[in-house]
Amino acid sequence: MSESHPQPGAPHPHHVDPSTEQSLSIWFFVGVLMLGCGVMIFGEGVYEFWHPGTTVLANLHPSFWWGMVMTLFGAFYTIRFRPGKG
Amino acid sequence: MHLAPISAVMMLAPTRLTHLAPVDVVILLMYFVMVIFIGFYVKGSTNTSEQFFLAGREMTAWIAGLSFVSANLGSLELMGWAGAAYQYGILATHWYWIGAIPAMLFLGIVMMPFYYISKTHSVPGYLQLRFGEGARGVSGVCFAFMTILMSGVNMYAMAVVMQVVLGWNIDFSMWVGAITVAIYVMLGGLRSAIINEVLQFVLIWAGAMLIPILGLIEAGGWHNLKAQIAVRMGAEYTHLWSTTGSFSANPMGVHWTGIVFGLGWVISFGYWTTDFLVVQRVLSANSLRSARLAPIIGSAFKMFVPFFVILPGLLALVLLKDPSGHLIQLYPDGSPQVLAGAHSFNQVLPLMMVRYLGPGLLGLGITALVAGFMSGMAGNVSAFSTVWTYDIYGAYINKKASDSHYVLMGRWSTVVGMIISVATAYLVRNSASIMDYVQELFSFFIAPLFGTVILGMLWKRATKAGGFWGLLSGTAASVFMWLAVLHDKANIRFMILQPHASADTILRVQAMAANLYRALWSWCICVAVTIVVSYMTKPKSEAELTGLVYGSTVIPHDGSRNIFEKPIFWAIVVATILFILNLWLW
Repeated sequence: MSESHPQPGAPHPHHVDPSTEQSLSIWFFVGVLMLGCGVMIFGEGVYEFWHPGTTVLANLHPSFWWGMVMTLFGAFYTIRFRPGKG
Repeated sequence: MHLAPISAVMMLAPTRLTHLAPVDVVILLMYFVMVIFIGFYVKGSTNTSEQFFLAGREMTAWIAGLSFVSANLGSLELMGWAGAAYQYGILATHWYWIGAIPAMLFLGIVMMPFYYISKTHSVPGYLQLRFGEGARGVSGVCFAFMTILMSGVNMYAMAVVMQVVLGWNIDFSMWVGAITVAIYVMLGGLRSAIINEVLQFVLIWAGAMLIPILGLIEAGGWHNLKAQIAVRMGAEYTHLWSTTGSFSANPMGVHWTGIVFGLGWVISFGYWTTDFLVVQRVLSANSLRSARLAPIIGSAFKMFVPFFVILPGLLALVLLKDPSGHLIQLYPDGSPQVLAGAHSFNQVLPLMMVRYLGPGLLGLGITALVAGFMSGMAGNVSAFSTVWTYDIYGAYINKKASDSHYVLMGRWSTVVGMIISVATAYLVRNSASIMDYVQELFSFFIAPLFGTVILGMLWKRATKAGGFWGLLSGTAASVFMWLAVLHDKANIRFMILQPHASADTILRVQAMAANLYRALWSWCICVAVTIVVSYMTKPKSEAELTGLVYGSTVIPHDGSRNIFEKPIFWAIVVATILFILNLWLW
């Protein structure tokens, strides 16, 4: 097949699939995943205030703080790129 | 290049490092559910070959850029380079800075217009346009072969890491990974692979960033860390350039010429500008400006990857201690100590994760590693599917099928590719040394390929025969040098142009340093043969070179309206920061 062959790679008559106009943004997926992970880790961090972890520097409560950062980051992206926002 | 110096024997440790809490399992499951959902979700928008193989060329600069850098941020790389940092010190950073950034900027500024304007679907496709079917055939077969083997290596590595870190069954991990990747790549093609690479990118940053942060807090800051490393290992472990004046003054046994010319020029430019796995990501960009910006955006992120890959390796040198407070010593893969149950260099990242990350955070870190491995498989399989369908099946087997037939072939070749990958993984399981060889294979091919592509793009006089014979002879020379050193390590002295080198010097030149010189020579041979043969054969006409070669192509304006939209401006910013960082760590 030569590079100029019209079949594979040729622009499709419906080059932009209509369904993609309403598609979920990649950033929405990123936001949902970070939000989900962030909430779980934040919850674990809160739990560890009463049941301290055994890892090094657990006294700094990394789960609590990192979970909070991820939750805020994820929530921002989820809302900013939510479906139907245009 | 950027294949990590990781070995299959790495994980013959007798006991698992840790176990997952319920919250960790939930995070891991959440990731699996999301990637499968994405596969089904994007299936509806991958009906044409351009949509399936090039994600419809609809990706923005940011998405293409993150995917571009993420394709090289697999878990093999993360774990291998963290281990290399423990072994060789901060010198390992060169593979992320001079060994990546200049090439990425060069791709965006100089080479991308030719790839993009020619509307090629692959690097072998460009070679077909420029040098004809011979060069396309050699590179297409090599790429297909390499990608499928690398997918298998990633699969096996993931399974072994899961076994060592978590005690999981190897067969279970391999099949779960293979089936998941096969589903989402078969359904969504490159679009699905790219979305998952962006997810993987974010996961890796989120999962790995805490290790250096907590490590620096524990060490008392960067200056205290350097002082402690200097006491334990020597000051050369924290200098980038000042110890590279001789082969014997640094832990890697490398000279600055090898770093600058072998790594910074040949290997780096070969990998970042001609390896189809990464270039395919940029070809998916929605405009010429996006295609040029994508590698520059990628390079800006790449510059900070050593923070969570190299730094954990350095931190481990002085902070990794057993419960009684004694420093844990790590050893090379396959050494008697590792076979007796000690930890290897390549386990440094999981060990640091277990040290600092409690429930939840550990799940995030493990998910990031799994995502990295699966992304490595998906990237290789999607590249295999494209090269197989376009450059082998469509070029030599069935030239006149319909577009939908090629899409179907792409989906089926993904499944077949995964099956071959599983077979490769089992092969590696039975013979660990195969994994080391597979990782060497890329370096045979990439360096001479860069010689062929760069001459093709910048030199009008390069001919079809010149390109073909240059590529073939460069690759053959690389294989010959590798075999010569495998036969007798003393042969390294010819590669480093020191025929009278002492036994001590030869001993100090590590395999990683030898690779730099092998790549440099194979590139030189490729270029020399291409030039000589080209002068002996008839050149292409000016009209045939339009859109393919510098000097015969009018580069269209990329639509930048002000200086902040110009790719060259951001390339200069990145280059300046890179220069400052190198000076700082001189």
